[in-house]
Amino acid sequence: MFERIVTDITVMSTIGVILALIMVIAQRWLSNYGEVTVNINGKRDLTVTGGNTLLNTLSDKQIYIPSACGGRGSCGACKCKVESGGGPLLPTERPLLSKAEIEGNVRLACQVKVKTDINIEIPESIFNIRRFDSVVEEIIDYTYDIKGITFKLTDGQTIDFKAGQYVQLESKPYDKIKQKVIRAYSISSKPELKDRIQLIIRQVPEGMCTTWVHKHLKVGDKVNFTGPYGDFYLRDTSADILFVAGGSGKAPIKSILEHLQEVGTERKMTYFFGARTAKDLYLTEEMKAFEEVFTEFEYVPVLSHPNTEDNWTGKTGFVMPYFKDAIRDPQNTEAYLCGSPGMISAVTKALKEYGVAEGQIYYDSFG
Amino acid sequence: MAWQKDKYITTVLGDMMKKTPNEQKIAAKMQPGVITYGGFLGTDDRSYMQIITDDDKTLAALGKSAEEVADRLEYFQQVSFDSFESSATIENTWDVTTEVVRGYLPCPFMHQGMYRKSYTTVTNLKSKKSFTYSSLNIHLIRVHHFFEGRNSHFRLDPAEVVKELF
Repeated sequence: MFERIVTDITVMSTIGVILALIMVIAQRWLSNYGEVTVNINGKRDLTVTGGNTLLNTLSDKQIYIPSACGGRGSCGACKCKVESGGGPLLPTERPLLSKAEIEGNVRLACQVKVKTDINIEIPESIFNIRRFDSVVEEIIDYTYDIKGITFKLTDGQTIDFKAGQYVQLESKPYDKIKQKVIRAYSISSKPELKDRIQLIIRQVPEGMCTTWVHKHLKVGDKVNFTGPYGDFYLRDTSADILFVAGGSGKAPIKSILEHLQEVGTERKMTYFFGARTAKDLYLTEEMKAFEEVFTEFEYVPVLSHPNTEDNWTGKTGFVMPYFKDAIRDPQNTEAYLCGSPGMISAVTKALKEYGVAEGQIYYDSFG
Repeated sequence: MAWQKDKYITTVLGDMMKKTPNEQKIAAKMQPGVITYGGFLGTDDRSYMQIITDDDKTLAALGKSAEEVADRLEYFQQVSFDSFESSATIENTWDVTTEVVRGYLPCPFMHQGMYRKSYTTVTNLKSKKSFTYSSLNIHLIRVHHFFEGRNSHFRLDPAEVVKELF
């Protein structure tokens, strides 16, 4: 009985392998699209070999569109305008696109195959995105579940970014994880440090990239990342600033403050950091030290549920009620928020009630 | 050897023969390292379909449906969201808090859509028992009646959930 089953499976497997080989050979002959042209923003032509996805085709030309799922069509981060040549919208794209996006020819670059000449539109800032080689220079335990990791760029590479932007880190295969995983993390170091970046990474339950970072990554390891990405960065105005962050949302604010320390500023700034208990606070001394650096800066940690043993004498509850004292002129106030969508939504609502214009509220909602 | 042979026939080959290609794809997505670090099956040697069948029986015996459980879990999560993911106490019986981190998870059953990485913890203040679940868990329970395999990180035992959260 057992031998018969094994024989049957062997025969079936052999047939399967032969069919797969025929398909591979057929694909090589039938799917040869030859050279095609990718026109970007009506300005630049790339001559490429057809047949690959738009995401990979651009990546091969060192043009890195954001993608958090490695091109599996599940994150929706690689949206770009395909004006012509992208073929019909696929069922795999539809759930990740709004009606307006579909009408505006927005597609997922990981799902569009480059088979003919194609015209696309992507933000100019994407041309600044590069893939970097680095080694882990330092790992700091900030809390029980948050680490700060410094990556030193190798081979004389340098990175240009705006304080507040993020990179996409590529993990290596480990344990049961057979392929690299790509995840986005805000840069927490200042842009003036061009040969290294620091990321602040919180351990996510069952997270494939954060488990790698927290349990496997060590000083000296080689790591790749792409970047910089994102439109959350400090606007160059003279308006008062309200920073509001929670959890690992501290990273981009730290980068902005360190940058302002380098360039100098007279702007009035208040930084509210929301945490649950005292054990969730970190970098408190470093943030407090900025009060000595800037003429008008206050760091205000607020605990929502301090434990008795915390002996907490600072502010408690939600951060929103404390804005009133920090906003002296709502029309001349910008807010920079980084944290969970719930926090962003509540803070935005409160700021608008205090008179801060929506257009002056910038946020990174862990999207 | 004979035992190993029997086990091979009944489990590995049995599973291969019973599952449709789509079911095999789903089972593959539930393995460790595909969507989450530990996967969705834990140390359970049952197929995901058998886990669903068994958990449905448990719920039926308790007079609850998977949809009711999902509604309950979503209710706790919503209360927490309304408190901006801070801690909230409900009816002096449950404490609920939610942590949201960057990113989304897809459904292993290949449903379209993504589920935010938000992790809600509900603690029964009387029994001190806690349950942690993600937005994806609520979807898996409501739509697929899937509570995950034994010892999976986010396994919710239906009997325990009904006992502690209703």
